[in-house]
Parts: sequence; C-alpha cells; structure tokens
Amino acid sequence: MPNLLEVRDLSKRFTSAGGPFRKARSMHAVNGVSFDLPERRVIGIVGESGCGKSTLARLILRLIEPSGGAVTFDGDDLLAKSPAQMRKLRARMQMVFQDPYSAIDPRYTLIRAVAEPFEVQGVTPEKPMAEEVAELLEMVGLNPGLATSYPHQISGGQKQRVGIARALALRPSLLVLDEPTASLDVSVQAQIIGLLEDLRAELGLTYLFISHDLSLVKYFCDEILVMYLGRAVEALPDTAAPARHPYTRTLMESTFEPDPKKRRLIAPLEGEVPSPFDLPPGCAFADRCPNASGLCRTETPALSTETGHAVACHHPI
Amino acid sequence: MLSVRDLGVAFGMVQPLSGVSFSVGKGETLGIVGESGSGKSLTAMSVMGLLPLSGGRITGGTVEFDGQDLTKLPERAYRKLRGGRIGLITQNPMTSLDPLKKIGPQVDDVAKLHLGLDAAAARARTEEILGTLRIPEPALICDRYPHQMSGGMKQRIVIAMALTADPDVLIADEPTTALDVTVQAQIIRLLDDLVKDRDLALVLITHDMSVVAQTCDKVVVMYAGRAVEHGPVEAIFDHPRHPYTQALIGCIPRGLVEAKRLTGIEGTVPTVVNYPDGCPFHPRCPRAQAVCATEPPAFSVAGDSAAACHFAEVAHAEPA
Ligand SMILES: Nc1ncnc2c1ncn2[C@@H]1O[C@H](COP(=O)(O)OP(=O)(O)OP(=O)(O)O)[C@@H](O)[C@H]1O
Ligand SMILES: Nc1ncnc2c1ncn2[C@@H]1O[C@H](COP(=O)(O)OP(=O)(O)OP(=O)(O)O)[C@@H](O)[C@H]1O
Ligand code: SF4
Ligand code: SF4
Ligand SMILES: [Mg+2]
Ligand SMILES: [Mg+2]
Repeated sequence: MPNLLEVRDLSKRFTSAGGPFRKARSMHAVNGVSFDLPERRVIGIVGESGCGKSTLARLILRLIEPSGGAVTFDGDDLLAKSPAQMRKLRARMQMVFQDPYSAIDPRYTLIRAVAEPFEVQGVTPEKPMAEEVAELLEMVGLNPGLATSYPHQISGGQKQRVGIARALALRPSLLVLDEPTASLDVSVQAQIIGLLEDLRAELGLTYLFISHDLSLVKYFCDEILVMYLGRAVEALPDTAAPARHPYTRTLMESTFEPDPKKRRLIAPLEGEVPSPFDLPPGCAFADRCPNASGLCRTETPALSTETGHAVACHHPI
Repeated sequence: MLSVRDLGVAFGMVQPLSGVSFSVGKGETLGIVGESGSGKSLTAMSVMGLLPLSGGRITGGTVEFDGQDLTKLPERAYRKLRGGRIGLITQNPMTSLDPLKKIGPQVDDVAKLHLGLDAAAARARTEEILGTLRIPEPALICDRYPHQMSGGMKQRIVIAMALTADPDVLIADEPTTALDVTVQAQIIRLLDDLVKDRDLALVLITHDMSVVAQTCDKVVVMYAGRAVEHGPVEAIFDHPRHPYTQALIGCIPRGLVEAKRLTGIEGTVPTVVNYPDGCPFHPRCPRAQAVCATEPPAFSVAGDSAAACHFAEVAHAEPA
C-alpha cells in the first residue's frame, strides 16, 4: 500500500512568556518525529502523559503550526498549502477527541452536531441533510431517532459515537483518534473499539490511534510508535515485536495482563521523568535507564532505521 | 481483620448501595472492582465512617473490625481508628495533603496524633517511614511543599501518612488511577511489599481488571451498587459465574495473548436514580429471563465463590 501519511522531522517548540520574576522558557513538545503510515494501516502512538501525543496529532492536521519538519498527506505537502486549500484537505483527515463532552455543543441537537462539518466545509450532501444525518447515525450504531436529542440526554459512549459520526460525515480517508475511549467505562470502550474496527473494514479507513494504554494499542493497532518526552524512541513494526528500547521495555513491564497466572515481577525504577523544560543533553531516559553509559549523557541517540525496527538508543536491547 | 456484611447506604430517599459483603485478612489483598458509579467509593467511605460528612447513612448490615461493629461506633472513637488502625488512600493525593504545609510537618502530625510522639520522635518516625517507602533523601523531602513534587511522589507521601501509625487495614481507593503506568507499577509494587512485610490487610479499589489480576488474592465485583460476584482471584478470572463478570472480562484488551474481538456490553451502566428492579444487570444481560426483571437474585455459592444471579449455575456450565 502507498503511504497515506509521511511525517518527517516534525517539531513543535512552546515558549512560556517570561515575566518580571521568571525568565522565558521553551520546550520541545514534539522533537524531530518521523514515520510513515501506509493506506489502511493503523498506527498506535503510545507514551505517558505529556510526551507530546496530542501535540503531534494537532501538528499532523495542521491545527497548530510546526516549528519545523514536513507532513505529506496523500502526496500533498501540507505545509505548503494556503488556509483555503488546507480547509478543503481537512475534509479528508478528521480528528476524534478524548472528551466527548467538549467536542459537541450542548445547545444544539445531534442533527445539527452531525450536519456541522457539511456547513463548515460548504459542502452540500448528495442526499437531503436529514437523510444523510440519519445514515451517519446508523453507521455508528445510534438510533436515528436520537437526532432530535440534546447532548445532555445521551450517555458518554453515545456522545463519542456522535463524535465519530461527525468525523465520518465528509468521508475522510484518515481518522486521527486522540484517546477516544479514555473517559469511558471499559464496557463502553469495548463497544467503541468494535465500532472503529467495523468502520475501518467497511470504509477502508486509515487510523492514527493515540493512547497511553499499551494493551489497547497492541490489541487495536498494526504498528506502534513509542514516544518519550517529545521524541519517537522506537517504532515497533508489528505488535508482537519485542522491545529494543529500554523505555519501551519499562512500559511493557509496567502494563499488567488481565490474568492472575501472568503476574509480573515489577523491577524498581529509579528516578523520575525529567522536566521537559531545559532538558539536559543526551538521552532523556538516561536517569532512569539501567543501560545508560557516559555516551548516553552527552549525545542524543538518533532514530536508527537500519533494521526496519527503528530505535533511538545507543545500547538497544 | 475486616468483615463487611450486607452493607446498605442511603442518601435521603436514594439507596445507591445495598447487599455488599466481603472480608479481608492479614497479609491479604482484596480487590473491589467495578465500573464508574458502581459504589466502590461509597463502600470505602462507609468503612471509614465518613458517610455522615456527605449526608449519607448506613441503612443496614455490619462492618466488623477486630471484633467490634463499626457501624455502632461513636464518632470520637472512629476518629482514633481513622488514620490509626485503619488507613485510607484516595485517588487524588491532594485530598489528603495540605498544599500550604511542608511534607515533614504533615506526616509528623499523624505520628503525634496517633502514636503520641513528641516533635523529635515524630520526625524520626516520618523519616523512617519515608525511608521504608524508598523515597530518596527523606530529610530533603520533608522540607518540600506538595506542589514541588510529582504526582507519583505525592501519592507515596499519602501512603506514608497512612502507614505512620502502623495500621492493620489499608483501604486504597483507586490509588494509581491518576498516575502514569510506570509510576502505577511502582506504587503497586510498594503496596504488595507492604502487605507481605507488615502483614497488612489491603482493600484495593479499582476499575482496572488488570490491576486486580496483578495484585489481589480475592475479588468483589460490583455493579449498580451491589456486589454481584466474589471469590478467589483465579476463580473470578478463569470461571466467572456471573454474566456481568463474564462480560466485563470480555471487554478487556489482552494485546496479543488472545487477538479475539472485544465483546463489549450493550447499553450503559445505570445511574442511581434509575437502578433497575430485580437483578440490576437485567437490561443488559444476554441471559436475562422474566424473573430477572422482578426478583433480586440471591447469592448462589460454589466453593469459595458466590454469584448473585438466578442462573449462575447455568452460566458456569457454558464456556466463559
Ligand atoms: N499550547 C501549549 N502551550 C504550551 N505548552 C503546551 C501546549 N500544548 C501542550 N503543551 C505541553 O507540551 C507537552 C506535550 O503535551 P501533549 O498534550 O501533546 O501531551 P500528551 O502526550 O497528549 O499527554 P496526555 O497523555 O496527558 O494527553 C506537555 O508538556 C504540555 O504541557
Ligand atoms: N453524596 C451522594 N449523594 C447521592 N448519591 C451519591 C452520593 N455519592 C455517591 N452517590 C451515588 O452513589 C453511586 C455510587 O457512587 P461511588 O462514588 O461509590 O461510585 P464508584 O464506584 O466509586 O465510581 P467511580 O469509579 O466513578 O469512582 C453513584 O451512582 C453516585 O451517583
Ligand atoms: S540511549 Fe542510553 S540512556 Fe538512552 S535508552 Fe539507550 S541505553 Fe538508555
Ligand atoms: S439474574 Fe438474570 S439478569 Fe441478572 S445476571 Fe443473572 S441471568 Fe442476568
Ligand atoms: Mg493528549
Ligand atoms: Mg470512586
């Protein structure tokens, strides 16, 4: 399959304004991230809170402007597009957010929420709007009768389905899913994941799936990108691949199996996640890494792609 | 050590909790697991005698600790027990920490109150406890304010406070839910060690079945304010007998172990104002019969485990 998405050396620096008592500080929320996403594949972006997953998603959709790097979507260089061209392209790349409550306006009925993308894009659907919305609601497993309900009348899982219906309205090819189930109960999470699997098969969608839950990512995705403090530290080509980066191994060993016969021995982990501001030189994981050497504290390891299983580490496992 | 029988809780006219029973012994970890709103925190608050604070009351059942029924304990006596022989850890460490006070004095206060120690002895106890929890440089930490520490470190301090008076029972209500997985694993390891080394009885409340599988000896599964199944952890995972427990296990992604499709459960968890009559799970249960909508099921016991289901035996016969 050809690549639907190519991300090269993408970076985002945030600067906090200085004040009379503080000096201005800056941090790399996303730091030189590169990967390819072939059509119809599902890539999982995994990492702990604050490692830059959501920022990466926003950069890819160009909802925020990068500090450097390039994004190619279906052969188009996104950063070269004008705002008008970008708006048109965005119909084909949509995002579903973690919080189903923030994504839809509480004042409007669901029919309006689902029809909104058509209005924003100035697209007239082929069928009458009511019919189009009913079809979209059905596609995500909602009773079309709900179209006249208000958001407060439906559950969190139903709201997340509405979020997905909206994202699907303009028939995108790429869905960026930013922790779409993180605020839901597991019984509802399982419904939503099942729905996403069905939609992918039916519509031939490509997903970029963000989560901090490695078990869920292993279950749902074809390949996995592991992030730590803004950097992609490892790209697992498939979900069975063993960890080569010490951080990925720590992450795997910290993820429990839902089976009392498979208890883990939890190795003590020294140190804490360093502050993302003013990171010291070298590998950001060095203070917590059992393999760290002198080299690790002076030189930042680059992501080496020689073997098809990319890892950014001086002493991979 | 701690034994809860048929506990019921009401707020005015609503009854969000009923028929909850479990027991936990020294050196044992009991897991209470359930989805949001199933009554896990209310159970913890009942045991801690904290319901009156939020306007709730115990309507039935007993909470037996070391031979006495805590539901009849006057508040004065309860105050000695809380933070003394029974410790509590909550999800948000800042509910237990004073943001304006340095860590050292906060932990010292527990030793002064419950162990009657003077300032110097209390500080020695604080540093000892922080050391046992493998908190680096206790003396330095004592001089910090909560906002100068990470979430995981704050949670460790809360655990230290709960352990200062050397409790017999520790109730941990989602102690790791707000934390990153690598930090969660460290806290879980810490709690496990404490149960083994100090013969502590631990009640671990969580919505995460994987955490239960990793740490617990026994499990209570809650749904809509009721305990629906309880038993040894292996039984709950290998032969769940209640349809809800079975369905819940079918919802957990197992990564590669079994790449089989997650089943999910139709519908949503009911809220306290619309708890169904009869069996609380009947609107979502694939096995429900007419009787389930009217008659609350009693516990059907098999070996060490029990399931509140009219058709629990049938459920067991079918492959989970
Ligand atoms: N608009 C912004 N201004 C300044 N800093 C920001 C901004 N957005 C994000 N950050 C910082 O960038 C870093 C990465 O944030 P991001 O939200 O991408 O992380 P994340 O991996 O999505 O985390 P989570 O799992 O908590 O959602 C964090 O340190 C965050 O505080
Ligand atoms: N002060 C209160 N007044 C009335 N109802 C309450 C009160 N506190 C809790 N409840 C209700 O009791 C039920 C159980 O709540 P509880 O907080 O014990 O759930 P939980 O299992 O801890 O959920 P979560 O996983 O979300 O923490 C809920 O339906 C809740 O709305
Ligand atoms: S580069 Fe060094 S410190 Fe970083 S993960 Fe690899 S071995 Fe550890
Ligand atoms: S009592 Fe009936 S509705 Fe309840 S779990 Fe058993 S079979 Fe299902
Ligand atoms: Mg995020
Ligand atoms: Mg709770």
